[in-house]
Amino acid sequence: MSDEQLIYKINSSDPSAFKMLMEKYQLQVFRTVMGFVHSKEDAEDITQDIFVKVYQSLASFKGESEFSTWLYRITVNMSINFVNRNRKNRLLQSLEDIFTKPGNEKTPLEQLEESERDRRIQKAIDSLTERQRMAFILSKYEELSQKTIASVMNTSEGAVEQLLQRAKNNLQRKLS
Amino acid sequence: MKTEQYIDDLIRREKQTAPNPFLSTRVMAEIEKPQRPEIKRIPVWQAFAVAAGIAAVAFLGISAGNSYIDNSSSETVININDSQIENLEYYNFDNYE
Repeated sequence: MSDEQLIYKINSSDPSAFKMLMEKYQLQVFRTVMGFVHSKEDAEDITQDIFVKVYQSLASFKGESEFSTWLYRITVNMSINFVNRNRKNRLLQSLEDIFTKPGNEKTPLEQLEESERDRRIQKAIDSLTERQRMAFILSKYEELSQKTIASVMNTSEGAVEQLLQRAKNNLQRKLS
Repeated sequence: MKTEQYIDDLIRREKQTAPNPFLSTRVMAEIEKPQRPEIKRIPVWQAFAVAAGIAAVAFLGISAGNSYIDNSSSETVININDSQIENLEYYNFDNYE
């Protein structure tokens, strides 16, 4: 069933259609949110909030852009709002992650090194400007084309290309 | 490993993280939950009007209380002869039979 048909059914008070729509997109939304928050629990909570918001605002979706584009816009905005609101708590969260990561075949020292490296990379991603981060996450986590990213961010493809290049350079510089 | 490879490795691991399989059920439960009636915000001017009303009533009450003058004088004594309140003679059987 296409997105338009599902939306039509949802607007005709059919909640099961919304469940279908959500199951179709929840992984994409969850992955994108993970790119911003790097925590499974937070990503699940934000994904839940995003879909509740989508359900409440679906009547205002005019269909001028694709549903997925509209959904990505909501996802990105709500993720950024969450990160800005919880900037202080995130340091504690990342420290907690170092000590609570499930064990694997690596030695404790290797695990600690990997956690520390992950934390540095996450911090570097988080320190990118909002627009660079948006472009980077949509490109790397969702593998969206520059054209799609441009329509999500309401900008040109050239601008997205520039943002991605700058994000890459900034990450290299911060992590070298 | 180069920096770019480390970044890609982290992204690959984060992308592999799967959400709770009951996430959609959780969302549906949240949506179907009866919405609490939205609490109406009282406009500021209304709050001020109510507060001013209460203050005015309190002020008037205090003013009225303060303006009361006790005119009664302890020197004045009212002498009442109880026997004159009701004429007991009226019930005298001999006179009114």
